[in-house]
Amino acid sequence: MLEIVYDVFARKDRGDPLVHIGYVDALDAETARVYAWKTYDEEKWFDMYVVERSAIVPVNRFEGPFAKAHRRKS
Amino acid sequence: MSDRLLTPDALDEATAAGLRRLVLTLADSKRLMGIRYSDWLLGAPSIEAGIAASSMAQDEWGHARLLYALLKALGLDPVEVEHDRPASAYAPIGALDEPMPDWAALVAAMVVVDGALTSVLASFGEGAYEPARSRVPKMVTEEEFHASLGAAWYRRLAGSEEARPMLVAATEAMLPEVLAWVGADDDAQGAVVGAEILPRASERLARYRDEVRDLLAAAGVDVDACEATRGWDEARGRTPGQPDEESVERARGDRNRALFVE
Repeated sequence: MLEIVYDVFARKDRGDPLVHIGYVDALDAETARVYAWKTYDEEKWFDMYVVERSAIVPVNRFEGPFAKAHRRKS
Repeated sequence: MSDRLLTPDALDEATAAGLRRLVLTLADSKRLMGIRYSDWLLGAPSIEAGIAASSMAQDEWGHARLLYALLKALGLDPVEVEHDRPASAYAPIGALDEPMPDWAALVAAMVVVDGALTSVLASFGEGAYEPARSRVPKMVTEEEFHASLGAAWYRRLAGSEEARPMLVAATEAMLPEVLAWVGADDDAQGAVVGAEILPRASERLARYRDEVRDLLAAAGVDVDACEATRGWDEARGRTPGQPDEESVERARGDRNRALFVE
């Protein structure tokens, strides 16, 4: 089945900056949120978010995984 | 939420016996559900799916441990219950008696069986038994991730021509066992319902059917057309049968019994 890359962002405490902590391959956003929560469970996160990698728009660097994913979608 | 609040010492013997049976079927089902999830740490469709299955196994075993602990106030020794019973005394939902043969069956179990456990557990947590009200809501919250994953995978497999027949076969095999358990309506369950610890069988069934109806329909399964398994073991509160010996040996921890610390 086709899987999509979702990047995972989280912070430990309210007010902390949101940090990129990794990524998961998932069927869709629903499976991505479960995989992220179950995979990156070594910390007690205050909040966590997943973002489809291809939705991340590069601003100044047009190389690397985020830019490649964006090019594939656009 | 029930207006009554019952502590263990306020229960008459019939209600305490019915409650012991209910807690045992919940705890044994969670223990076996955990074993079925754990079988898919390796062999799941992706690393992430395997990690999720492993994590859900841990959730189920944690819930089972908390539920077994509830038995102490009801006159049973949780250590004996967890480690010294033969397979014939275990009381999981019949759909958990055998290992899941493929991923589609595990996905069906996530939705049909784990979903039923959460449905009844949620009612138990809203009922009159005080220890359940304080312990169960956290379990139900953790189960939200299981339900989410189950629903996403169920919809995906239902949309696959190759996977749908496997999903439907597993769903239709599990549903009658689950409906028999959710809709238990004998004297022991009647005592629990009478004490407002659980809602009536018809209400439990309606709640469960409402929760799974649309999702199962995605695979063409009509939960309202499905009938419960006939035959009932009143002593254990489940249909006749028992889980496979190997799984019960794992549940009891037989292999490392000499190292047992409690």
